[in-house]
Amino acid sequence: MDPLLRPGHNAPHLPAAMGPGYADVFDRLSRQGGRVETTGTNALPTFDAHAGAKQASFQPYQNNGGSVVAVAGKDFCVVASDTRFGLGFAVPTRMISRNLVLNDKVVLATAGMQADTCTLHKVLRIRLDMYRQNHGKDMSLGAVSQLLSNTLYYKRFFPYYTFNVLGGVDENGEGFCYGYDAIGSHEKVKVVCTGSSQSLIQPVLDNQVDGKQMYDGQPVAELSLEQTVELVKDCFSSAGERDIYTVGLDGRGQPPLYVKILKLAFVLTSHPLRSKYTRSHFIQGQSPAVRDSQTTTDTYFT
Amino acid sequence: MKIGGGHVRGGGGAADGPVKVTQTPYVVGSSVLGVKCIDGVVISSDTLASYGSMAKFRKISRIHKVSDACVIGAGGEFSDFQEIKKTMDGVMIEQFCMDDGYVLTPSAIHQYLVRVMYGRRNKMDPLWNQVVMAGFHDGKATLGMVDQVGSNFESEVIATGYGLYMGLPLLRNAYRPDITVAEAKKLLEDIMRVLFYRDARTSNSIQIAAVTKDGVEISEFYDLETKWDYQRFVDGARSGDVSTW
Amino acid sequence: MELGFLDRPHGAGGVRVTGAALVDELGYSLGCDRMHPTGAPVLTAPPGDAPASFLTEAFRGQDDHALKFLHGTTTLAFVFQGGVVVAVDSRASMGQYIGSGSVRKIIEINPYLLGTMAGGAADCSFWERDLGRRCRLYELRNKERISVAAASKLLANTVYGYKGMGLSMGTMITGWDKTGPNLFYVDNDGTRLKGHKFSVGSGSTYAYGVLDQGYHWDLTVEDALELGRRSIFHATHRDAASGGFINVYHVKEDGWVNISHEDSGMTKYYEYKAQSAAVDSTAMES
Repeated sequence: MDPLLRPGHNAPHLPAAMGPGYADVFDRLSRQGGRVETTGTNALPTFDAHAGAKQASFQPYQNNGGSVVAVAGKDFCVVASDTRFGLGFAVPTRMISRNLVLNDKVVLATAGMQADTCTLHKVLRIRLDMYRQNHGKDMSLGAVSQLLSNTLYYKRFFPYYTFNVLGGVDENGEGFCYGYDAIGSHEKVKVVCTGSSQSLIQPVLDNQVDGKQMYDGQPVAELSLEQTVELVKDCFSSAGERDIYTVGLDGRGQPPLYVKILKLAFVLTSHPLRSKYTRSHFIQGQSPAVRDSQTTTDTYFT
Repeated sequence: MKIGGGHVRGGGGAADGPVKVTQTPYVVGSSVLGVKCIDGVVISSDTLASYGSMAKFRKISRIHKVSDACVIGAGGEFSDFQEIKKTMDGVMIEQFCMDDGYVLTPSAIHQYLVRVMYGRRNKMDPLWNQVVMAGFHDGKATLGMVDQVGSNFESEVIATGYGLYMGLPLLRNAYRPDITVAEAKKLLEDIMRVLFYRDARTSNSIQIAAVTKDGVEISEFYDLETKWDYQRFVDGARSGDVSTW
Repeated sequence: MELGFLDRPHGAGGVRVTGAALVDELGYSLGCDRMHPTGAPVLTAPPGDAPASFLTEAFRGQDDHALKFLHGTTTLAFVFQGGVVVAVDSRASMGQYIGSGSVRKIIEINPYLLGTMAGGAADCSFWERDLGRRCRLYELRNKERISVAAASKLLANTVYGYKGMGLSMGTMITGWDKTGPNLFYVDNDGTRLKGHKFSVGSGSTYAYGVLDQGYHWDLTVEDALELGRRSIFHATHRDAASGGFINVYHVKEDGWVNISHEDSGMTKYYEYKAQSAAVDSTAMES
């Protein structure tokens, strides 16, 4: 007997459509792309623009990966991110910036979707400029933290697909950072990681900086700026080894014996940035503590 | 066709209730490649627009001059690319009418395009393209891209579409910071040829555009020389221990 | 503020959108420029005609990348002769990941009003912060404090306006006003209930068990605070989505007081185990 014919039935048994709810598959199709013509000359075949997964309808979100970390110390805060722009299994470029220097004392780093990141950064830059013009001073770390939360929440129903950390020094010169979810829930902390390597990096930072899970009760020594930068570098190189959406190695897959992180790092101190390290130095991540990790990134393309 | 806020495809329209804006690409172009050079910037594309597996339009240009210092090249839905060309032409005409001698710089044009594309994705009515922008201004080359959701970046080498998978590694491998426009043209030809061999939606009819201090130069369509009698093409299974087929 | 200059990509020849547009031509939104007549900010709906399912549709087929917000909780509050006790845990989960172990789920709306946080963390903190702003405006306009009933109603009306859009919040608004201690439950459906005893969140069933067993109107303040704390502890013990610290507040006639902030972990476990004579020992077996 034809295996397609079920016993006791004369009609062939046709396999169901994939997934649940196959009965309304045409309803769903028509919701996505206008009326579906099943017969007649208007019936258009659907196909994919490029080889790859079938694209049922336009998807407004894209995950470009990336991880961002902020670690606050007594009078500084380190904000770091990787620079990989991921797209599925491809890497269209290894050098995008996820960081935004908002003013001399506040830095933002954003993982997630690059288009949303870049729009969010533009919006914040404009809002901070408006604040500067209106008030004649820079926005404080705390004020920026609330502004960012509100900005994210205003798009509650069509969120920015972004995962932010905000770091800097407050009015008293003490370093702090803030971690966010995509719609603006945030918390003031001393150490935070978001993005694709969040679950790899955050537990390590909890342990090493906050002293969590240290059951011997020994007090945790406060990290110096240099130690913090080294720790952050280690976090990125380790995460890069285990997370395909975060880069830890250079284009040639060099081993991470010495750190070759493609990242920009910002180091803030409670002192205003003076001539020796101008803001642009910080934008390029060339504070003295970070310069070492940068030297190897110059030739990342070859 | 445009009715109300969105595109209408396969029937439907204002009379049928809310305008449906979601779309999939239909007539599409494939890869665009770009290289930033020491004396300019070069991009390339083939001249094919496919409708599924059908080579629907074989001699169309996917490269467009925006200003004397800037060209764009696009893959993806061809009608949306025509919309982009119209939009950018409108912008340039407006600037001309200002008569102040100011023209948007290439990176400004790039960012403008990013905002337009991102704005459209926010309406769930995307321009389904991957656009590469190449410009030369103030003695410096700019090369950037933007896609249908608004993702964008500038880089030394760029490849879109299938070229992202097969062209970009070749580009990165061959790239030098001091590469010249002449060298880059040769490089892009070679990579377009590879794409033609392996991307079924790429033809061997191509077009190359360069932007230098002398302005924009877009080539005529021309056919790449191809060679199909490589031993591995002819006799893949027996010519080595690993087949390429 | 007129921000139209930001929305003009096409100059004279293009589409012009006013600064109030939340998602405008360029995809910028500088903030929430619109306010509802009641004074609450207006969040614009996503594109399309099915706002509630927009995000699910947008991430169809890519579950790994779907947006996850902070969730999960045990919160409780009850009224007794000495005022109101509010006790909560501090864990926030995003799917399997513990987003934070130190969330402050008791939101200090003002010195006389507390709100609790269950469900979406951002939804609760944003709207309860906004509630604080509007309560302050009420004070300035009327030269007296807003009642708990009115405050909770402001919140309920606001979230009711977003019904079906996907907000997620189960909150308790409590405080002391002219009528004495008050407690209201407000959730994202727009439900608003006055009551003496509520627990909200994934761990609430566990908390209710302990709470109902130990609750009397005449509890001393000390016993009432301990009952709240113990109820949260047992919820953190059994509910995977609850944990972290136990925060306890006491609402009194002259405002609230932050009573305690304790780790809900093993220290607390052994502390209760040691007192097991006073507790049903079977409840403490792992």
